[in-house]
Amino acid sequence: MKPLQRILHVEDDISIQEVAKVALEIVGGFEVRSCDDGQSALSCADEWQPDLVLLDVMMPGIDGPTTLTRLREQASTQSIPVIFMTAKVQPSEIEHYRALGALDVVIKPFDPMMLSTQLREIWERSHAG
Amino acid sequence: MQDSDIQARLAALKAQYSQRLGEDLQTLTAQARELSARQSGLDPAMLEVLKQGLHRIAGSAGTFGYPELSRDAREMEMWLQTVIESAAAPTPPMLSALHDRLRDSYRLLATTAAAAVAEPQAGYDLASGDRPIRIAVMADGETDALIHSLTGFGYDCRALSAERSCREWQPDVAIVDTARVDSVTWRDRIADMPQAMLILLSDDTGFDARLQAVRDGAHGFFAHPVDVPSLERHLRQLVNLPQQDPYRVLIVDDDLELAEHFRLTLKGAGIESRVITAPRDVLRGLRDFVPDLVLIDINMPGCSGPELARLIRFDDDWLRIPLVYLSAESDVHRQAQALAQAGDDFLVKPIADVALVAAVTARAQRSRQLSLALARDGLTGLIKHPAIKELIEIEQARSERTGSEACVVMIDIDRFKSINDTYGHGTGDYVIRLLANLLRQRLRRVDHVGRYGGEEFVAVLPSCSLEHAREAIERIRVSFSQLECVAARETFNVTFSAGVASTLDWQPAEALLEAADRAMYDAKQGGRNQTRVAVAP
Repeated sequence: MKPLQRILHVEDDISIQEVAKVALEIVGGFEVRSCDDGQSALSCADEWQPDLVLLDVMMPGIDGPTTLTRLREQASTQSIPVIFMTAKVQPSEIEHYRALGALDVVIKPFDPMMLSTQLREIWERSHAG
Repeated sequence: MQDSDIQARLAALKAQYSQRLGEDLQTLTAQARELSARQSGLDPAMLEVLKQGLHRIAGSAGTFGYPELSRDAREMEMWLQTVIESAAAPTPPMLSALHDRLRDSYRLLATTAAAAVAEPQAGYDLASGDRPIRIAVMADGETDALIHSLTGFGYDCRALSAERSCREWQPDVAIVDTARVDSVTWRDRIADMPQAMLILLSDDTGFDARLQAVRDGAHGFFAHPVDVPSLERHLRQLVNLPQQDPYRVLIVDDDLELAEHFRLTLKGAGIESRVITAPRDVLRGLRDFVPDLVLIDINMPGCSGPELARLIRFDDDWLRIPLVYLSAESDVHRQAQALAQAGDDFLVKPIADVALVAAVTARAQRSRQLSLALARDGLTGLIKHPAIKELIEIEQARSERTGSEACVVMIDIDRFKSINDTYGHGTGDYVIRLLANLLRQRLRRVDHVGRYGGEEFVAVLPSCSLEHAREAIERIRVSFSQLECVAARETFNVTFSAGVASTLDWQPAEALLEAADRAMYDAKQGGRNQTRVAVAP
């Protein structure tokens, strides 16, 4: 199994961006880059080739699901796994995001001390199956 | 990296976030207040902006140690979502209820900013977790009735004698009956507690007595016989004063440096403001920032101050917001000309900082009071009748969606007609206000209370089991029955009967309300002064 190392975090809220950076870089020991919106995420993913994209669902401009579609259309980013982050908790919505091709959904608000563990678990589970 | 380093970094981020969250909550509160003051034609875009703001908080506050605020924001977001999806537009009172919740969230943040917010307890206690407000009463023995009444409202109320010291107890408010205690004695005692706000009671209602009270530094003045609901409302205003939401001012001035100076001056006085340098951005500024007042420079390139004021006045929605010119124009005739076009006042630059703050505060206060008054019952300040039904529908929809239980309580004052007949309508109104204040004081911040009819009240208690609701109302019923009501020189006691019904047992909303009403009727039949529960069909 490929180890999880590089994570691209796409999130328009700067406070969340910063706390996730601490949670993933310092607590989790990952390499992290952050993008403010879907558009810049597309080019950053193409150029940096992260192992995983952590994608906020609700963003101004192109939203999370649209960004996922675009990532899949772009040859260089076609197979990069995506995990959604959202404050919506209806089970049907989570199913919907999985159906779009996301590995899983992380519910906001997240616990900064637990986020890395959560991502690792999702990562391992998806590679085990 | 050390765990303590991580914690330190997280703490720093949290501090940053808390500040932003405070600003965001204030803005959302102002938006809700503005929406609630609209008499017609709600702007769907404004509702959407409000919902998105709540969504952001719902998704982030918990990460920074405010799980309760996250949950609160999510509930409000879902409430708004339901409202936006339903065909009927939300009424001003529903939005008032939303405004109150947001304001409470802001206060919660303000009081807990230092410590992480603990999980709420399942129990059903008083709305505020803070210590009760301490009130010292000096009336030379004649204090029992007043202390009894105020204790019923949840205040920590004690008699103060001439001898006993209260240095350790530190009251927040001191009530002195000047008809019973001589001035040398009470002035002495008051000097001992500089932190306490002073309220004077007097037999003399004349101008001189009032003037003397002002000179004694009194924060309130009441004539005998004391109208307890008025006194209680005054107390609430007094003790809430420091935590009131800051006033908000929109400054439109092309001179950025000067505008920033005004902003900082106002900030120093606890007034929030936003600066706009281009007149054409004013409408967006009004909508996003929702000020209580607009300061407008009179000479701006492209659009003069009076032109801008007239442009703002095209829109009925902003009618209640005072427009105040700021200008170097000292010619009285030119000032009058500007005011004749539109605008409410004229401040001449250069202006002393105190003068600016005073002028802005006075007008912002009026504007704020006006917008709060528009959507509320005049006598009680509670939500008006038509809206409470819709609130019940919304709570029921949420209950169905989430499987949580909410309760509706119907309350009716016993033998109200005979109170009116015996003591007159003025006393009837007094009793209604007394109960309204008590309900507001004793229910949780998430609960809605409305005046349903003449002497009928409805309370909607979200996330509350039938048993908890019954217990809470029983406690209030007992307190109410012990409150002494005053009519002329007579005192008497009043009771109420209540019926409680749960969303889990009764659908739709109409049936729920009817069930609560029937249970209340059963309570009346059973001898009044009691609470009955509507048994599931």
